[in-house]
Amino acid sequence: MSIANTLSVNIQKKIGRQRLRKFFLGSIPFLILITVWHLNEVFNWLAPVFIPKVSEVWEAFFILQEDCEGFSAAIVLDQSCMMSTHILSSVGRVLLASLIGLPAGIALGIFAGMSRPISKVLEPIGIFANSISGIAWIPLAIVWFGVGWMTTLFIMLNTIFWLMFFNAMLGVRSIAKVYEQSVLTMGGSRWDVITNVYLPGAMPSIISGMRMSMGFGWRALIAAEMIGGDSGLGFMIFSSASEFKIEEVFLGVIIISIIFLATDRYCLIPLEKWTIHRWGLVWKPH
Amino acid sequence: MPSRNNLNRFLAFWRHFSGANAIHLALVIFGILLVWTLISHALENPDRYLPSPIAVALSSFDMVYEGLLPSYFGDTITRLIVGSIFGLALGIPFGLILGINRTIADMFYPMMNFFQSISGIAIFPIVVVWFGNSDKTIFIVILYTSFFPIAFTVLSGVREIPMKYIHAVRTLGGTRLQIIRDVLLPGSLPHIATGSRLSIGFAWRAVIAGEMLAGREGLGWMIFTAQDVDRTSEVILGMLLIGLSWIILDHYLLRPFESDTIERWGLVQR
Repeated sequence: MSIANTLSVNIQKKIGRQRLRKFFLGSIPFLILITVWHLNEVFNWLAPVFIPKVSEVWEAFFILQEDCEGFSAAIVLDQSCMMSTHILSSVGRVLLASLIGLPAGIALGIFAGMSRPISKVLEPIGIFANSISGIAWIPLAIVWFGVGWMTTLFIMLNTIFWLMFFNAMLGVRSIAKVYEQSVLTMGGSRWDVITNVYLPGAMPSIISGMRMSMGFGWRALIAAEMIGGDSGLGFMIFSSASEFKIEEVFLGVIIISIIFLATDRYCLIPLEKWTIHRWGLVWKPH
Repeated sequence: MPSRNNLNRFLAFWRHFSGANAIHLALVIFGILLVWTLISHALENPDRYLPSPIAVALSSFDMVYEGLLPSYFGDTITRLIVGSIFGLALGIPFGLILGINRTIADMFYPMMNFFQSISGIAIFPIVVVWFGNSDKTIFIVILYTSFFPIAFTVLSGVREIPMKYIHAVRTLGGTRLQIIRDVLLPGSLPHIATGSRLSIGFAWRAVIAGEMLAGREGLGWMIFTAQDVDRTSEVILGMLLIGLSWIILDHYLLRPFESDTIERWGLVQR
């Protein structure tokens, strides 16, 4: 009894009481959900066509990966390694689109934020492009690029780029003119103003825009893969659903959620917090 | 004095539209149309890849004449309204409950986070297997997408209400119900307004995608089938309509509603 007691006290000290409480409370609904899911297969409330068995979902992962011939085949996105190919191609599209889209959007956004005439031209275009949600571009993208990588990449890029552009522009605009003028007064060039005032000043807005664009972009990517893709998680769940392999659909949905949660939790939120902590000094009274 | 007030408002509205801004906007639109026309003329097969604006306009006359466009448009808007009303009606009370009780919030927060990150579009195949390609499927997807943003914003709105107001009502002998009605609900109204706009924005995307995937008639379906039969002018027409209707909905309905609510109820200090 006393050993258990000291152990629990130590665990509480190490992790923190509140955190522990949150963790256990938070896991209750998940446990209930999984239990109900499992009971469903014991009592057969709903047919397995609609709700797969828990074990089937787990096994589907390995069945999909079965024909894979080792690590090198998985890396080159071989069609036989279905699972890893789908995951890697989705993640690869996200990475590729953000590598191109984020810097381009930020650059154009800062550019537009700097000068009124340019922003007057670009702002209506940006508003319009943002309101044609990325998904509505899918049919046109299919006409232009055909089904495949280009279409999905285009949809993702489109979503990311305009959101980023808008956020960077608003961020630059919210910087008080005093900072810019002081740099210019002290003999700084335009480039100095960009690197020392606009970029750091707009940083909080840029980073929160980044988080937002990842959220929207990921959703748009899944939709794009469903309609106009030939690989990726969205394609996987859509084609599995049409073959009524519901366990693969469940698996795909869970993986989608986990990937998104992990990127958001462990990359974007810490980045946002750090940026606001570090750069969020520029503010403007309303 | 209401008529006077309306007149003033109308004048302000008119000033907003006329004048330098409108001329500028018209110039920008004209420039885009010009570039678009030039590109479309330079292409080899413009009907397939990028029809000129005139072709798009002609196809719109065609579709209006046949009565297809108004019916598609109506279908889409109806779906959006019905679906998001259900989503908001479920999401607001849920957010309030989570905001009131810390234990319940701690319990359900991770789960909500998990389900929120499954986008509505991703659960679409599952819902299709359950309910088939019906209107019910689209409504469920819309409900799912619009539920989480509003629940999260209401939750954070309730959390941000300073405790002193709740204490004040309690000191004066208020019951739990009175606290909810007089403090929490009005205090979180600005957040409810913001969250509704966010929710409806997500729902709008879900409607378009849902129509494409489920094959129910509407704007999303229109652009998807037009692509199938190589009528690119209808695709572009549908995209323009989708963009325009969202701008009108957002800028002239939801944003004024949001700012009015914040102005009226945003007295609670942050």
